[in-house]
Amino acid sequence: MAELNQKPLTDVQLKQRKLERKIEMRHHVTSFSLMIFLTFAAFAMVALELDPLIITAAVIVMALVQVILQFYYFMHMKDKGHGFIRLFMLVGMYFAIAFVLCYVLIVWIGLPIGSV
Amino acid sequence: MAEMRYNVPDNQWPDHPERATLEGKNKQLGFWVFLGGETVLFASLFATYLALENSVPSDDHLLTYDLFQLELAFVMTMFLLTSSLTSVYAVYHMRNNNFAKMQIWLIVTVLLGAGFLALEIYEFSHFVELGHTFRSSAFASAFYFLLGTHGFHVAVGLVWITLLILRNARRGLSVYTAAKVNTAALYWHFIDVVWVFIFSIVYLLGVI
Amino acid sequence: MAATAQKRSAWSVIWDYLTTVDHKKIAILYLMGGGFFFLLGGLEAMLIRIQLAVPNNDFLSAGMFNQVITMHGTTMIFLAAMPLLIAFMNAVVPLQIGARDVAFPFLNALGFWVFFFGGVFLNLSWFLGGAPDAGWTSYASLAIDSPGHGVDFYALGLQITGAGTLMTGINFVTTIITMRAPGMTFMRMPLMTWTTLVAAVLIVFAFPPLTIALFLLIFDRMFGSNFFIVEAGGNTIIWEHFFWIFGHPEVYILILPAFGIFSEIFSIFARKRLFGYSSMVFATVLIGFFGFMVWAHHMFTTGLGATANAIFGVATMAIAIPTGIKIFNWILTIWGGSIKFTTPMLYALAFIPSFTMGGVTGIMLATVPADYQFHDTYFVVAHFHYVIVGGTVFAILAGLHLYWPLMFNTMLNERLGKWTFWLFFTGFHLTFLIQHWLGLWGMPRRVFTYLDGQGYNLANMVSTIGAVLMAVATLILAYNIVMTIVRNERVGKDPWGDGRTLEWSLPLPVPYYNFAQIPLIRGLDAYQIEKEENNGEMIPSEPLDDFHMPNNSFIPFVMSFGLFVTGFGALYFASGKDWAINAVSNMPVHDWALYVLIAGLAITFISMGVRSWKDDLGYYVKKEELERDLAALEEERGAN
Repeated sequence: MAELNQKPLTDVQLKQRKLERKIEMRHHVTSFSLMIFLTFAAFAMVALELDPLIITAAVIVMALVQVILQFYYFMHMKDKGHGFIRLFMLVGMYFAIAFVLCYVLIVWIGLPIGSV
Repeated sequence: MAEMRYNVPDNQWPDHPERATLEGKNKQLGFWVFLGGETVLFASLFATYLALENSVPSDDHLLTYDLFQLELAFVMTMFLLTSSLTSVYAVYHMRNNNFAKMQIWLIVTVLLGAGFLALEIYEFSHFVELGHTFRSSAFASAFYFLLGTHGFHVAVGLVWITLLILRNARRGLSVYTAAKVNTAALYWHFIDVVWVFIFSIVYLLGVI
Repeated sequence: MAATAQKRSAWSVIWDYLTTVDHKKIAILYLMGGGFFFLLGGLEAMLIRIQLAVPNNDFLSAGMFNQVITMHGTTMIFLAAMPLLIAFMNAVVPLQIGARDVAFPFLNALGFWVFFFGGVFLNLSWFLGGAPDAGWTSYASLAIDSPGHGVDFYALGLQITGAGTLMTGINFVTTIITMRAPGMTFMRMPLMTWTTLVAAVLIVFAFPPLTIALFLLIFDRMFGSNFFIVEAGGNTIIWEHFFWIFGHPEVYILILPAFGIFSEIFSIFARKRLFGYSSMVFATVLIGFFGFMVWAHHMFTTGLGATANAIFGVATMAIAIPTGIKIFNWILTIWGGSIKFTTPMLYALAFIPSFTMGGVTGIMLATVPADYQFHDTYFVVAHFHYVIVGGTVFAILAGLHLYWPLMFNTMLNERLGKWTFWLFFTGFHLTFLIQHWLGLWGMPRRVFTYLDGQGYNLANMVSTIGAVLMAVATLILAYNIVMTIVRNERVGKDPWGDGRTLEWSLPLPVPYYNFAQIPLIRGLDAYQIEKEENNGEMIPSEPLDDFHMPNNSFIPFVMSFGLFVTGFGALYFASGKDWAINAVSNMPVHDWALYVLIAGLAITFISMGVRSWKDDLGYYVKKEELERDLAALEEERGAN
């Protein structure tokens, strides 16, 4: 473990940094409220028994939005130095969605794609 | 020998303590790569579940709409979502070099996670009483495999964070421990991400 | 270290290797482990060819033949080819990018030991009631019905090995992203590093589906679940999809590092810069990406429907484009070069036509209507042996000769090496070329014998003679290795004389810390640039100073041993239980299984806890030691 070669900060810099973090924390709280809202909305839609097709689409979109909020804000993927991570997770999500779609289309329904 | 400085003054604490050293940077990137693998792992589990959803040998087996109680799923979701926020608080205080508050928020995270796990165990035992067991049908096997793997991740996360709280209690905060806490927090958020898909796809879309 | 000359007790050497986290020593471990399994898989191949040499042979029983083919495939792919490639990745990549070790040295050691214990576990099946017999693909409909514990060994052994490979994948992605020397931009990375990066990414994305598939099989066979039990609502096609979602990227995991090794060889021994470097990188990434989109071409005859088959068929053919780019780039690298016909170069030259033939039959197989004819015949066997032997095994043999001096500080005998090459090359084509025709004449694969008078006799005999030639070549190689170790004639820096990339700029033997000062990289083929402009001296990017190195640890060994123990607990858990599947429900009950399972998991998780609890801060290599080492090197150079 390399030792730390951190030059001591001045009080002004320290204050500035704490302020930046506070602002970031505010973003976190905002995204948390958004997540709670999306969760409520998803459960409410199902409880209200809307059209299944609309619910399906809306629930999946809302789940994806929540995931983006988690990744970008809570897990700091929006920060600097996360370029490769973003690319990597994007590819991973792409493969993940491709696999799930495949299972829904050619295993689950039990009918070949061509005949649907 | 390597010098390890604990509890440095605020003005010498780096902006990103978890990435201040090469080891910390490696840890963070490596863990994200691991999470990329986990994404595909859970996608495979979801694919299995969707392929076998409600696939049972005979009519007397319980199906999704007979089983799931949305109230319970909602409470569980709230537990896990909130614990995600509390672990953000822990990382926030870690960056602010505030060890005591970081520990407190980690403890809160563990408590919320334990609450979630307790509810999940309650739900599973209830299902088992109803005759929906790991061995009862392909649907049940897939259900318990998907949720069980997630639950197992939660349990591992709880043990992990608890161990971190205990081991760091005697040491304090350094760039070495900061990297450890940051990794555990990433893991915890990822568990929450998976749960978002579970409550959406398994519970909500299962009962419509 | 200067102190290597002093005698060390055998135990201290063994202990050193059991606890090492040094990527160079782990490379040697992988080479030994992979080499052992390569010989084992080769032995199984010989058994297959002896059985098939003449019609109506009873050398192996039908059941034994199934076990041998299953273990041949599984061993060669998981326990020989991949570990041997990982051995070269470990030996070369950190040196090539100018790093002192990989990003996670502990994880590197853990990856090796997990692989090793998984391989041993799988092969213990021979002594504990019979090996797996459902084919290396272990399709669920066969695997669920296979009586006894053979398939259980397959599922658990691969699960353990796969975990090790996944760790290695994560490690190399991180290493290549974060540990490159100053100036080593992405577009200055040697091709070996690029292909390792892409292969490592493929490992990270391809192994989790296999993990899940194996868990489904483990749960069905050992814990009474119903994923593949059709009567309970299960579906066996799920296995096939997962296996090939993993399995197709897997063949690219095997071939991409091989491409990397050959790219290095072409440019070293044609003494030219690699032609079309950026298109090579582009093609590598594209092959990796496409690799995930084509898995269903292994399943054309399962009945996916015309649309799905057409999509996957066309996607498969598209892969020929980046691969073609690579083939032409290699040819143009050789074109006009001043070629040295060393052993590695011979393999590389032989690789181009051999691999291309495998690629062309691949396109034939991707043509869906034709595939219905080729499916499950010897044509398929010929095809994949052409790509895997003509690509990966040639690369492993070439890499062994090329990197031997880097790993062991001696040179393999070139004369014997060329004998090995010519015998292996001839034997390979003799064995597998004729199998294309055998397939077209209708001989099915995986069948233990054939009748006289069907026209298969001569071709099978030719094939067996070819296999014998390959075996002789392997024996010569083994003799070569033993003699080289006995003679122990040390070589110095840049033993081939034409090294272009950073690893050849290091003194031999490579110091345990690799670089006293991390060099500054000024372009592609970093060492070649300094040869032309700076008399072969790398320019340091940092002043000579203390730096940090990781500690050795015994925990990886213990952690892996825990998984090994867990395997036995899980294996016997379902024996004789009334809820178990028919294949194992009439076996004797083992009451201790559950306790062994728990004990194994406890060993693993407690060692994880210990690892997390203790501070592992490593140690510093002091400036004085570096100065001493550099002075010794200077003196040696003066003496020569």
